[in-house]
Amino acid sequence: MNTQQSISKHSNENPEKWVDLYGDYLYRYALYRVYETTVAEDLVQETFLAALGSIKNFQYRSSIKTWLTGILKHKIIDHFRKKTKEQPMDDVKPHIDKLNDLFTKNGQWKIKPANWNADPQKLYGHKEFMKVLHKCLAELPSRQASAFTLREIVGENTKEICKILDVSATNIWVLLHRARMFLRRCLEINWFTNSNDRKST
Amino acid sequence: MKHWMFNCKKVTYLVSESLDRKLALHQRMGMRIHLVMCKFCSRYKEQLLFLRKTARLYSESSEDSDRSIQMPSEVGKRIKESMVRFLEKHE
Repeated sequence: MNTQQSISKHSNENPEKWVDLYGDYLYRYALYRVYETTVAEDLVQETFLAALGSIKNFQYRSSIKTWLTGILKHKIIDHFRKKTKEQPMDDVKPHIDKLNDLFTKNGQWKIKPANWNADPQKLYGHKEFMKVLHKCLAELPSRQASAFTLREIVGENTKEICKILDVSATNIWVLLHRARMFLRRCLEINWFTNSNDRKST
Repeated sequence: MKHWMFNCKKVTYLVSESLDRKLALHQRMGMRIHLVMCKFCSRYKEQLLFLRKTARLYSESSEDSDRSIQMPSEVGKRIKESMVRFLEKHE
């Protein structure tokens, strides 16, 4: 606790030092959630300024890093909220068509899920995997991508996500279902098929 | 496949929903029976769980460990300058 307090005091005197100490960490935190470098940069800047503005509220109960991360998380959720407001309801049609291609008229698999044979431990270390996931997310209509990100990466509950994205309780199940269905397929094509190729060659 | 049973398309929807909330009893039963019999739908379920686990684990662990991504230094400089301006204005 003593070390933490002295770090805090030291940083309070010299808040620009925060940027050196926590800038990279916060930047990565933001980038893994919003995917765009310019957005991540802006969110980190807003976080530091908001922290300066509320420095009197900072309690020594938590470390500066935890405190800043909490502010950033709010900023990230705000970002998704604004993004949703700026964009009209997504046109989901092309994706519905694509998803319907996966099933027969009787609702049975036409394109069957392949056996991934994935080793989670190997995969976790793979930065490339996250890159492919981001690439696949970018192909989704933005509400679906936001719903998935908020649920699976930010870790929000579905009730909160409904509020953030301004959708009904029924809609959120549809959005998450479509996002997962598409991402599963997209990863299968872009990651698992390719990595199997790499293995066999 | 009997007409009263859920088809794969319906089951994939329920599988996704079951990741986030408790299904009604008849949905749960119908889904379970289908999953026992259908290799591809149970594979689908496993892969959705895998996707969830990987996305969380990766994003939670990488902020501290992944040093290869750094904030561009000019951005850090810009942020520091904006902080100085902020302090001048508010003090």
